[in-house]
Amino acid sequence: MSKVFVTGFGAISAIGNSALEARSSLINGTSGIKKARFFKSNYVNSLLFGEIPLNDEDFINLTNSPKNSGLTRTSLIALAAFQQAITSANLSEEALSSFTTGFISASTVGGMCYTDKLYEDANLQGEASEFVGSYEASDHTFQIANRYTIKGYTDTINTACSSSANAILLGARLIQSGRLERVIVGGADSLAKYTVNGFNALMILSDEACAPFSTDRKGLNLGEAGAYLVLENEACANKKKKYAEVIGFGNSNDAFHPSATSPDAVGPVLAMQKALQVAGLTAGQINYINAHGTGTINNDETESTAFATVFENNPPPYNSTKSYTGHTLAASGALEAIFSVLSMENNELYPSLNCQDPINTFPFQPIQTYCEQQPIHYIMSNSFGFGGNCTSLIFSKCM
Amino acid sequence: MYVIDQQAISAQKTHDLSFEKGDYAIYSAATLPIVEPAYAEFIPLNLLRRMGKAVKMGIAAALPIVNRNQKVDGIIIGTANGGLENCIDFLNQIVAYDEGVLTPTNFVQSTPNALAGQLALMTKNTGYNSTHVNGSLSFENALVDAKLFFEATTNKTSLLVGSVEEISSYNYHIDLLSGRYKKEIISNDQLIQSNTEGSICGEGASFFLLSNSPEHAVAEIVDTTQIIHPSTADLTVLMNAFFEKNQLSMDAIDLILLGKNGDNRLDFWYDDFHQIFPATPAINFKQLTGDYRTISGFATYLGVQILNGKINGAHPAFNTEFPTNCNHILIYNHFDGIRHGFILIKKGTR
Repeated sequence: MSKVFVTGFGAISAIGNSALEARSSLINGTSGIKKARFFKSNYVNSLLFGEIPLNDEDFINLTNSPKNSGLTRTSLIALAAFQQAITSANLSEEALSSFTTGFISASTVGGMCYTDKLYEDANLQGEASEFVGSYEASDHTFQIANRYTIKGYTDTINTACSSSANAILLGARLIQSGRLERVIVGGADSLAKYTVNGFNALMILSDEACAPFSTDRKGLNLGEAGAYLVLENEACANKKKKYAEVIGFGNSNDAFHPSATSPDAVGPVLAMQKALQVAGLTAGQINYINAHGTGTINNDETESTAFATVFENNPPPYNSTKSYTGHTLAASGALEAIFSVLSMENNELYPSLNCQDPINTFPFQPIQTYCEQQPIHYIMSNSFGFGGNCTSLIFSKCM
Repeated sequence: MYVIDQQAISAQKTHDLSFEKGDYAIYSAATLPIVEPAYAEFIPLNLLRRMGKAVKMGIAAALPIVNRNQKVDGIIIGTANGGLENCIDFLNQIVAYDEGVLTPTNFVQSTPNALAGQLALMTKNTGYNSTHVNGSLSFENALVDAKLFFEATTNKTSLLVGSVEEISSYNYHIDLLSGRYKKEIISNDQLIQSNTEGSICGEGASFFLLSNSPEHAVAEIVDTTQIIHPSTADLTVLMNAFFEKNQLSMDAIDLILLGKNGDNRLDFWYDDFHQIFPATPAINFKQLTGDYRTISGFATYLGVQILNGKINGAHPAFNTEFPTNCNHILIYNHFDGIRHGFILIKKGTR
């Protein structure tokens, strides 16, 4: 069974147009959650968002894309992060088009991010828009596969907020099994009226910057991001910089409620335990957890319960980087995996923001200040979604 | 990877196996909705009221399998679009109420993973759970996911794997604007030879209990592969590699199921593909249900019924007689001539 190495990554989010920019925001504790400048919705006045500070035209230029070609904001965000990832791993055109190179992406809103255009096309109001062929969840995957002539395995996953964590999980298994030599995995979601109104109807959005794991937390902020990792087998990764190794993953369903997690954290506990089992580690060996930490009453209580269970009331340092980016939905699993890898590579821990009053029913609290020179060998990244979809990933440092 | 049990809901009476006995339904309509089963037999009424069609038909195809079998270790679904009707209903609310106070039901039901989540909930299944939304390759992706799941264990395990797609007026409109459907109304039995642009819009749910143990298997899913934007020459290269990898002679294929959908701009792919296996009989299947993105799940269902003699070579729904004793069937389906999927199945040991 081949090992699975991270040989490159790309990320674009509210805290930076690249992983490098994001790292400096994380070190400085600078959040990207603020009033939206470009997103159009009645809620821009009352709610805060983790918006990427680029308009669609900026994105078309950034990604060197043709105008009026049906590329939605989701696709443009995905493209920007994808381009960084393949450059970072130094993948050639030949490598990208090899039958043994795969591409697995994830999105929840997918091509439906232009809610009003979709409304017009779906209700036959006038001529077809340029986006009429772009509404499928997999449209962004297909656009990228088309542009880079990817001929091998392609896939698009939607397990709600754990989608790109499952893209990483599936990519790792495809490499382990020998089916693929390399695979680009991750996800993208853009802010959309569709999602904002859905989460608003569920009454889990906060009108303030989210405060994960704080007693006074009021809910989550929605964000947007694109994040991709390049995973390669040992032979391909040979002589390349190896940022990390994917060593564990666990997927479980909470089987409790369509849009809430169970009080005893069945799914999150199982996902973390399976990941530890696959990695061959004990809970005590994990040095850092990037929590799902949405900032909702429900999630943070459940996740804390899961930490208490899996780590016997003594979890390693953990934070929620959603306090910087907002909840980037299908992108969050990959985005947070990249943040975790940055943490591990640089032996540093980033503070979790806005946790003024840590939940006091548990004897632990998230990282409060930036810490350097931390020995980090094993990291865990959690993603839990609607539909009960829970996934936990474990990465190790490459010596 | 073996098929232990299967169930399909389609525009034909597959839910009670009348279709298999020769009852071939012919409709003249722009869309071919499923023959709806009695949902209340499977779904409590308070849940049923809230469910969108994709979730309902998925559950109605999946639960009989769970009830007949018991142990399921995980759930994997392939659906290009999930609950689109709910999705656009919610969208219409957003526009109609100018983003006012909305009820979340449509939103929660519209997410493509709602079905896998609901199935996990109804069957108390905390195992592996995933939803592939990769357009017309979603079912093939679900099969790859399942294969990897089985390879990672030496224990006897089983998975509920399925595909679902619903017709909504909205996706019908969007695909109509994209030129995917015929402008004229024809009957489904005339679909393949219609020789005009576009196809007929269909829907359906097909579910399988898959296992890594051949015990009681009705079929084996040997392998699947896919390609995007190929040339015809690429298909030959891909098939040669596919058969070599599976250590099977191309002559071993007894029957090919072709996804011809009556679109005279695109069906040439199937004729070209058939040239790779010139001596092997081929049948079409989209005259049964019209076309939809995850129809390869239904094709797999049909293939398994044929391998087991449940559908015989003289069935009135098929264009040509085919050998009744098949050991290997190859399924080929493409969408828009861009995404191409292939599934190889083999007779089981039961």
